[in-house]
Parts: sequence; C-alpha cells; structure tokens
Amino acid sequence: MVSSRSQGGRSRFILLLLTLTSVTLITVDFRGSSGAIDWVRSRALDVFAPIERTAAAVFSPVGDFFTSVVNYSDLEAENDRLRAQLEEARSAPVRAADAERERDALLDLNGLEVTADIPSVAARVVSSDASNVAQVIEIDRGTAHGVAEGMPVVAGGGLVGRVVRTSEHRAVVLLVTDATFRVGIRFTRTGEVGVAAGSGRGKPLDADLVDATAELEVGEAVVTSGLQQGLYPPGIAVGLVRSDRLQSGALQRDVSIDPSVDLQRLAFVRVLQWTPTVS
Amino acid sequence: MGRLRLVAVFVAAVVVHRILADLLTVGGTSPDTLLVVAAAAGLIGGPRRGAVLGFAAGLAADLFLLTPFGLAALVYCVVGYASGEFSGTVVRSARWIPLVAVAIAATFGQILFAFAAATVGWGQLVSIRLPVVALTVGLLGGTLALVVTPAMTWALRDGTRTTIR
Repeated sequence: MVSSRSQGGRSRFILLLLTLTSVTLITVDFRGSSGAIDWVRSRALDVFAPIERTAAAVFSPVGDFFTSVVNYSDLEAENDRLRAQLEEARSAPVRAADAERERDALLDLNGLEVTADIPSVAARVVSSDASNVAQVIEIDRGTAHGVAEGMPVVAGGGLVGRVVRTSEHRAVVLLVTDATFRVGIRFTRTGEVGVAAGSGRGKPLDADLVDATAELEVGEAVVTSGLQQGLYPPGIAVGLVRSDRLQSGALQRDVSIDPSVDLQRLAFVRVLQWTPTVS
Repeated sequence: MGRLRLVAVFVAAVVVHRILADLLTVGGTSPDTLLVVAAAAGLIGGPRRGAVLGFAAGLAADLFLLTPFGLAALVYCVVGYASGEFSGTVVRSARWIPLVAVAIAATFGQILFAFAAATVGWGQLVSIRLPVVALTVGLLGGTLALVVTPAMTWALRDGTRTTIR
C-alpha cells in the first residue's frame, strides 16, 4: 500500500516536472528568443526527408489506389469539368496575351513589378500536413536553393500560400485556405480592395473589409493587391468570386472566393523570390 | 534491448505519422499516430511511463508543427499520464478495452490540444468543427491502436505494469 502510494507520488512528481519543462519550452519558443528551437525543427525536416521520400515511394501507390476507389465518382465529375475547361482554355492564349500586354504596360506606368519578372524556384510538393493543426504542404526546396521565410508560393493557376519554415533542403508552405492566412486582394473588374482569409481545407476564402457599396459579380477574378504591407506582389491570381451578398445594416459585403488553384492535388509549385517591402 | 525496441517503435511511429497519416485522411482529418503512441504507452506502462513517453512523442510531434514548441509535449504527456491512471482502474481486461481507451484518449487529447493552443494564440483550432475533428481523430486512433498497442506492449515488455493488454 505504502509502495503503491509512493509510486503514485513519484508519477505525479514526474508529470509536474515534464509539465514545467513543456511550459518553459513553449515560453521560450513563443517569445521567439531561441534560435536553437528553430535549428532543431529545421534539422528535423532535413533528417526525415530521405526516410519520407523512401516511404512515400513505397506507400503512395497504395494510398492513390484507395483514394481512387473512394473518390471514383468525384474523379469522374472532375474529368468532365477539366474537359470543359480545356475547351475554354484553347481560346484563352489569344485573350491572355492581349491582357498581359495591357497589364504590363499599366504596371510599368505605375512602377510596379510584373510577377513573371520575379525570379522563382520550382519545387515539388513532397507531403501535405497530417496534423489537423494547419493547412500546410512541404516542398523539396530550401535555403540551399534560395527559398526564405515569407516568400509567396504560386502554381499555374495562382496563389498557393507563403513559406513559413525552411531548412536547407525543405520548406513548409502555409496554404491560402489556412485559417491564419491573410492576403490583400483586388477585384479585377471593379478595382475594389479587401483582405481574403482562409477558412479551412476545401472551403472558399472569406473576403473581409470589402466596401458595402462595391458592385461585385459572381465569377469576377480576384488578384493580390500588393497593398497589405507589401507581403505579396500585386497581380497574382487568388480566385474567383463565388458569392456576394450584403446583409441589411452591414458595413461590409459578405464575399466568398473560390481559390484558383486546386490545393488538394498540388504536385509542383513555384516559390517567388520576392522580399516583402515591410516585415 | 528494451530501449532499442522503444526507439524502433518511436521511429516507426514518426514515419507513419509523417507519411501514412497523410494517406489515411478521412473527411479532411488525419489520424495522430504520436498521440496514439502516448495513450498506448500509458495504458501499457502505467502513468509514469505514460507521462515520459507521451512527453517524448509530443516533442517528436512538435518538431513538425507550426504551434509553439512544447505544446504537443505538454498535451501528450497529460494524455499518457491520464491513460496510465485509467489503466489502473480497470479490473477486467478484454481485447476491445485498449482500442476504446485509446480512441477516447485521442479524442480528449485533440480537444485538449485545441484549447491549449488557443491560450497561446491559435484560437482558430477551437471552432464548431472541433467536435467532428476530435471524434474522427479518436476513431482513427482506435483503429491505429490495433497495431500500436501490440507494438508498445512489445517495446515495454520488460518490467511493464501491463494492466491492460
């Protein structure tokens, strides 16, 4: 009885000790005063990279098989949607070239940088986050390739997210759908500005601070404004307006935006070596 | 030898956590293998080992999370300890008890993590979706326990309390 009680006391003492250690670690990291923690996290990404690469090569065909079986009907619908988009895309280059010339001229006129001129690093998506904590992906390029924290990440269709952690050969990218993600936006037709915020995996972005008098259209293209303290260069496609409504008495519109990039099936991305004008 | 087995189980758990968990996502929610390891360590090894191994599993999880370092260590340590305390209260063992216990511990751990994260500025984790996420993590955790519990029993087989098997 005495032994059992003493063991219980020792267990509680160890729990207390570990709790205090955890709280100390949280405090040190939260205050951002320890480069050691960043170094350890960065090394962990590099150390596990080869193991993950091997394991992914072995297991991804199995995972792909089960995903295909479970999502068969979704894939069929997506196939139809992509065929329709392909038809539309065939006529797009002509219109795009014209619009591009016009945009470049306007940006030049205003002394702004053209996104296509920003140097970039191509990267392969090696994993998506499995923590339920944040919407992130991991890419196979890091500081050794010129990737740094804060750099915007794009894919063919538009903005994917922002680099939030780097190691020598890896980087973690926070996706636009993450609840903590914010980006300054501009509606292309009206020129109205606002701030888009992520609201979770597979969900549209919410646009905040959009003036109540703005006249938006469903399907209107949305691009980065370059205004939100210069965190992103202007003109990167963010998405299309999915819905727009104004509740009575509200001072701002209730706008949701479909991201222009399919974040569930990212294979390759480009990291723009863009340094924010304000940190 | 016992420590080597434990290290082997931990490394395997981290690899599964990083690779397979991504493939086993259900409705946008992934299983938390390291949380399952913490719960299983408590159930098999008792509160002291549960706390220590939960802390270690949490530190491993913290390496890859964006939340402040040490947060998962704190939560998983508590989950390991609580699982160990629970195992001491079970009189009659049955095969399904560890699975259900791990599922409950994983659900509780996910909720605890969300609230702990909210206190350090990650309030977005406490949302209306939290119950669904926590229950899914619990169900997936209970399924993973089919593998993790025997692995942890093997790793801790010397001098183990083994109240629940």
